[in-house]
This record gives sequence, structure tokens and C-alpha cells, in this order.
Amino acid sequence: MSESSRVRNALLPSQPPYLYPAYVSSQKRAPTKPLIALPDSLANLKGPVFGHDFIRPADHNLTKQHSGEPLGERIIVNGQVVDEAGHPLRGALIEIWQANSSGRYKHKNDNHAAPLDPNFTGCGRVLTDNEGHYSFVSIKPGAYPWRNHENAWRPAHIHFSLFGAGILSRLVTQMYFPGDPLLLFDPIFKSIQDTAARARLIATFDWTTTKPEFAIGFRFDIVLRGDRATPMETNRP
Amino acid sequence: MKLISTGSQTVGPFFSIGLSGLCQQPCSPESAPSGTISITGRLFDGDQKPIPDAVLEFWSRGQFVRMAANDDGSFAANLRRPADANHFEVLIFMRGLLRPVFTRVYFHEANALASDECLQQVPPDRRTTLIAQPAKAGGHFIWDVRMQGENETVFFDF
Repeated sequence: MSESSRVRNALLPSQPPYLYPAYVSSQKRAPTKPLIALPDSLANLKGPVFGHDFIRPADHNLTKQHSGEPLGERIIVNGQVVDEAGHPLRGALIEIWQANSSGRYKHKNDNHAAPLDPNFTGCGRVLTDNEGHYSFVSIKPGAYPWRNHENAWRPAHIHFSLFGAGILSRLVTQMYFPGDPLLLFDPIFKSIQDTAARARLIATFDWTTTKPEFAIGFRFDIVLRGDRATPMETNRP
Repeated sequence: MKLISTGSQTVGPFFSIGLSGLCQQPCSPESAPSGTISITGRLFDGDQKPIPDAVLEFWSRGQFVRMAANDDGSFAANLRRPADANHFEVLIFMRGLLRPVFTRVYFHEANALASDECLQQVPPDRRTTLIAQPAKAGGHFIWDVRMQGENETVFFDF
């Protein structure tokens, strides 16, 4: 196996392992056999391209998808999507979903005894602009209980799904909120071993996009993996 | 400059809220338009229990099809057979997976499998987990995914 292959095959420190026993659901679903390396030439598949006609007007404003306004703290989430070289990714599709301000998802299997909000579905889509920036308006999701361990609560979070240049850039992650005491007890958040990488999943309060009398701004920047054939070598001693 | 890629997190159990917009409508081999094929199968966990909260993405050049599993862990996707390959790349997301698994589904009848560069990397006794079997009806292939166990599906480095 070549030197570059060995580097590539090591789990990136910013990424969680498949098996993280504290996250109980991983125990019966994480692969147990070694992963197989794909030959370089086979791993450059380009991703789908999504046009602006794919995005409806209210897709980036989760507070305007119903006749009334949802309950909760209004927020503006914005950020930039770049590749590992720092190049902005334009036209990248971001899909988002989240619980309402009471911590309840509009999903048939969510039976948490918290109210649904008739004015909130909790899903959105947005494309990055020419500089890789995105922005959407929503309400701050609530924390909610789950049955992973005794008295388990998920910290407030927004799910993000992103398409970059190709299949290896595909990312699904979660954005958390600063100052949330539940983060320290959350095995999903803590599954990322590198504490700096983990901290980058927490949005920062953003004064510059906070709108007076309207909404609090949060900034969440995202780095997508690039084409595997190019990136690793440049940074090696 | 080399930035560190953002960490992956699970899609969780309620992903359909956000991901269903891009999902193919529920379909079956019978409903496959002419010129397309169907891949159907089931997903199983380490206890061989069906996995209902998973979403699969089939990728090939110029084609992207996303399909959510049904409540019984089954799935069905209608696809155009890739012109330039004997397989689809497949990403699978689910509750319990902190990052997606990356696998492939090949077509059984393809003559080129013996010399396929990727299959050569796979131990011979595990290759069958990547090969969809033809059903009775033409254009219909069956492919199950096992996350763990004796017949664990081959997953690739991602």
C-alpha cells in the first residue's frame, strides 16, 4: 500500500468512528469488518447539480411556511461552505431539518410529550451563493429527551446535509448552539474525539447578522472534503 | 492552506423531514418505467432485525437517486442502468451511524465482474455481498444490506 493510501485510510481526527458504544444505536449498526480501500481512480464521482428552480421561496425561511408565525426565538443562521483548500463552494445544496421550539419533531415516530407547532414544519433548503455563503431564518430548536441512557437529552441542534463537488464531499452533520450545558453529556457530539473539531460543530453568536428588533444571528462555517486524489500530499513534511 | 473537514453526525431517526424532498417516490419493480431497472432489498442490523430508519443514495455518472427505507426495512429504487459502469456507488445513512457507510452494488449478470479492479480488493468470500441477484422479472435485482454478522456487507473506506 502506498504512503498516500495509508494516510488516507486513517480515520480523520475530525470524524467520528462507526462504533461509539456510548451511542447505543451504533452497537448493532456499525460495521465490524475492516473497510476496504477503493483504488484512487474509482473514487472521483461527481455529485448532482441543483439549480435555483429547485428551491422554493420559503425554503430558506422556516418561519414563513405556514399562515402564522411559529413560536420560539427567531434566529438567522449563516455561514460559508469551503473545501479543504479554503475555496468557497458555490451552488452547494444544503438541506436542513430540526425540532420546533418545544423540542418536538413533526414526524410520526416522535412521541415526546411536547406540543407540535401548527406553524412550524422544521425543514428547509438553500443553495450557497457565489462566495459559498448561505443564510436561513428559523427558530431556535428545543432540547429533547431520548432513551440512549438514563435521563438523556439531546442538546438543541439543527441537522445539515450538504453536497459538495463529489461523492466524497457528501456530509451530514449537526449544528449546535453555544453555551449549551447538555453538550458535555451528549454521546453523539462527543463521538468526535478531537475537541477542536468537536467545537467547530458549535455555531458562534454573530453580532453582525443579528437584526435589531427581529432575530439573533448565529454563524456556522462548514468545510467539505475535496477530491481525494489531490489534497493529502501538499501538507506532508 | 489545509483546513480540517467538518465532522459528520448521524442523520438521526427523523431525517425524513429534511431529506424526503429529494427522495424518489415510493416505487416497485412493477412501476419501473421502461428503460429503467429496479433494485429492491432489505437492511438488517447486527441482530438481523430490519432497519426502518435508513436512507440510501445511489450514485452513478449523471444520476442520483435517494430512497428511504420502509417501516419493514425494505427499500425499492428505480434507476437507469449506468452506461459506463457495472455498478452504483451507494451511500447509506441511518440512526446509529455517525457517518455514512459507502458501498457498491454490482449486477450479477455482468461479465466484467471477474476483472473488476475494485472487486479484486475484496476477499473472494465477501464479494457476493456487493452483487445484486436478478429476480424472475427482467430488470429487477435484489440486494440486501447487512450491517454486521457473518454476511456483513463490504463497506469501503470513505
